[in-house]
Amino acid sequence: MRGAQQFLRRRWGEFSQTPFGRLVRLCVGRMFHGTADPDAGGLDLGVGVIVVLLAMPGVLVSLLMFEKYGSLIRFLRGDGVYDPFTATIPDVYFFLVLSMVVSGAAALWRWDSIFLDRRDYMNLVPLPISLRSIFFANLCAIFVLIGLLTLVVNAASLVLFPVAVVGSQGSFAVFFRFTLGHSAAVFLASTFSCFAVFAVAGVLMALLPAPVFRRVSLLVRFNLAVLLLALLGTSFAVPHWLTQLSVADAHRVAVLPPVSFLGLAPTVWGRGREPFAASMTKAAVAALGAAFFTTILAYAVSFRRSFIRIPETPDTGPLPRVPFSLSPLPRLRDVLLHTPAQRACYPFAARTLLRSDGHLQVVSGFMALGLVASAAALTSSPNLHTLVTGKAPPVESLSVSFILSYCMIIGVRFAFEIPADLQANWIFRFWLDREQHEARPIARRVLLLFCLSWLVPACFLSTLAFWGWTVALQHTAILTLCTVVLVEVLLLRFRKIPFTCPYPAFKSYSGLTVVAYLFGYFVFTDGLAQIENWSLGDPWRIVWFVPLFSIVLWAVWFYRKQMLEMDKELIFEDVSDSGF
Amino acid sequence: MLEARGLSKFYGSVLAARDISFCLQPGQVVGYLGANGSGKSTTVKMLTGLLEPSDGQVVYNGQNIRNNLTAYRKRLGYVPEEANLYPYLSGEEYLDMVATLRAMPKPHKSKIISSLLHLFSLWPHRHVTMGSYSKGMRQRILLIAALMDNPDVLILDEPLSGLDVTSVLIIKNLIQALSARGKSVFYCSHILEVVEKVCSHLIILRKGQVIAQGTTSEVREHIGKSSLEGVFLQLVEERDVVQVANEIISVVVPA
Repeated sequence: MRGAQQFLRRRWGEFSQTPFGRLVRLCVGRMFHGTADPDAGGLDLGVGVIVVLLAMPGVLVSLLMFEKYGSLIRFLRGDGVYDPFTATIPDVYFFLVLSMVVSGAAALWRWDSIFLDRRDYMNLVPLPISLRSIFFANLCAIFVLIGLLTLVVNAASLVLFPVAVVGSQGSFAVFFRFTLGHSAAVFLASTFSCFAVFAVAGVLMALLPAPVFRRVSLLVRFNLAVLLLALLGTSFAVPHWLTQLSVADAHRVAVLPPVSFLGLAPTVWGRGREPFAASMTKAAVAALGAAFFTTILAYAVSFRRSFIRIPETPDTGPLPRVPFSLSPLPRLRDVLLHTPAQRACYPFAARTLLRSDGHLQVVSGFMALGLVASAAALTSSPNLHTLVTGKAPPVESLSVSFILSYCMIIGVRFAFEIPADLQANWIFRFWLDREQHEARPIARRVLLLFCLSWLVPACFLSTLAFWGWTVALQHTAILTLCTVVLVEVLLLRFRKIPFTCPYPAFKSYSGLTVVAYLFGYFVFTDGLAQIENWSLGDPWRIVWFVPLFSIVLWAVWFYRKQMLEMDKELIFEDVSDSGF
Repeated sequence: MLEARGLSKFYGSVLAARDISFCLQPGQVVGYLGANGSGKSTTVKMLTGLLEPSDGQVVYNGQNIRNNLTAYRKRLGYVPEEANLYPYLSGEEYLDMVATLRAMPKPHKSKIISSLLHLFSLWPHRHVTMGSYSKGMRQRILLIAALMDNPDVLILDEPLSGLDVTSVLIIKNLIQALSARGKSVFYCSHILEVVEKVCSHLIILRKGQVIAQGTTSEVREHIGKSSLEGVFLQLVEERDVVQVANEIISVVVPA
């Protein structure tokens, strides 16, 4: 065993010293670390952190399985004997979805680094290496990346889940069979998810001109992220449907990729003769093969069409922009933005959010989350017909605008902490007076612009269409006030020009902050929707919102008044205790 | 008048600049020379107020600049060594942002930006994001940003980096014209020919300390060299450059 290990290590050492081996290592490295300039303040987490982040969902869910299937706990609960190969189907489905979503998200995260770009061309092509070597090295790197992602995402569940389910049965054969079926399903599902994302990227790159690809890239990624989140949402409903539906109806659900891959596990467990499992296995293998060949084909075409032609295409970056104002009423903007610093920094922050890919991705991610959560809220209603009927909107309908507002505000607030070209912030260091408290007014305006500019009209018009003027005005007013109060709370200790500071350091209370945001989500989206629903019963009840908001705003004002001046000063390095 | 009085800067225990003193009078163009790591950029950052000196002070018109940094910077134009710009902003948007930060009045600001974009040949590219600008175009944007508010003091750190021949000639003439109009120019560069041509005074730095200063001719006469290159080599460079070149050849091209 040790001899084989040494042999493999020696061979790998020899391979990685060859020109092709070095190329593969380079391509794998750029996929892990991204293509951004590390000095520009981009997020470079390092391989270790990435591995932990990817493995974490699998570890947590696998540990929960001990609570469900642990023999002692089952004994204490009085649960009887169960068949692991049928009882675990919903959990296998959940692991499949989880594996696909995490792998897909990781592939989306590395979307820009998958294919070789201008920098690679400038560095590699002048060297005495053939284009074929570069092509195959990056292809190898894609396979290595997919292999690593698949392994890391599923490693915990491959060991812990079978131990939790069949570990106490004392039969190695059963354990081995169960592990094999589960591994085959999650591994292939994970691989399919990565290939599917890469195939989409490759096809777009092969078909579209480079500037157009850059433009549509973000939109496609946003839609894929929504799709992945929606897939995660199916894990609660689909296993239940599968037990209720007939085989013929179940095939309709089979368009969902995890359902197809769910057929793999029973097939490996020896139940492949069941018609549903057999047809699903075929569908899964076909889907995986299609994704694999599409990726290879798209990669080959895009390499030929984009990479080889790089010198013929201008280094355009984004396309020329038509000059536009960020406010339809420039005079109103001058009234709202009082100082030169505000007038300069507000367009800067708004443009960064709209144009910087990284920031737009973060905001889009939160927005995708908001859309999926809104859909989940609407579908949670016991009677879908009541969502748009009755004198007043039900809680589920009211909560949608609160969910969208919360996700948008938190997304933009989170994006504020991500630096944009840190080295370029010298212009703000140079010009802004640290003792002038300009950070909050700027951040406040950007947050409100990004949330209310579209949400207020959308909320008003949709409410008006179903419930009339009074309810529409009332709901829009409450939503606006709630959003303003939320923004004030979130900016309590904010003292940076958005995007001009390095990432905040991890603090001892960072975990608590995340819990606070989750708690805030439920209070804001569900709590406020419940109160508003109650207030809509009698228009006079709306006055209760006045003391509620007044108390929160007074608390914010009082807290700021107590703060030391030095804690309010503008900063460009996050060395203080205040943080996100 | 801009004055550096005994400026020193330590990064922890590492000395970056020690006891640097000089005076920049209106109409003077001072060349600031030194090898890499000699403390030029540290001095520039202290002069612009971006870095606080460990010791000493920068005085502008008799007042420590730290007393009113904003007012001082209103009179200052600065071109940093690296053209660090936001790549997703267009040239015009960036200049508009800088002009707004400088609190320039709106009609004046738009007029100046348009004129300078025309003169620096950037008008056709004004709506293109700076991520696609060449190094020279970025440098021109920085020069416009430094010049547009009619500053009294200009601090230029390698301003000709990446510029084409025409632009270099324009900037050289521009510096002399600014000097003739009573503007003070503090000029950091490695290009000795340009320094020799445009600067009336020289300050030479070595290992964080001023080792020579005066008018260009004074420094040359004092060292006894006819060219600035000779002066620089004698004062700053410890190695024999010809010998180093020969050694490189012997490594790269074996006999």
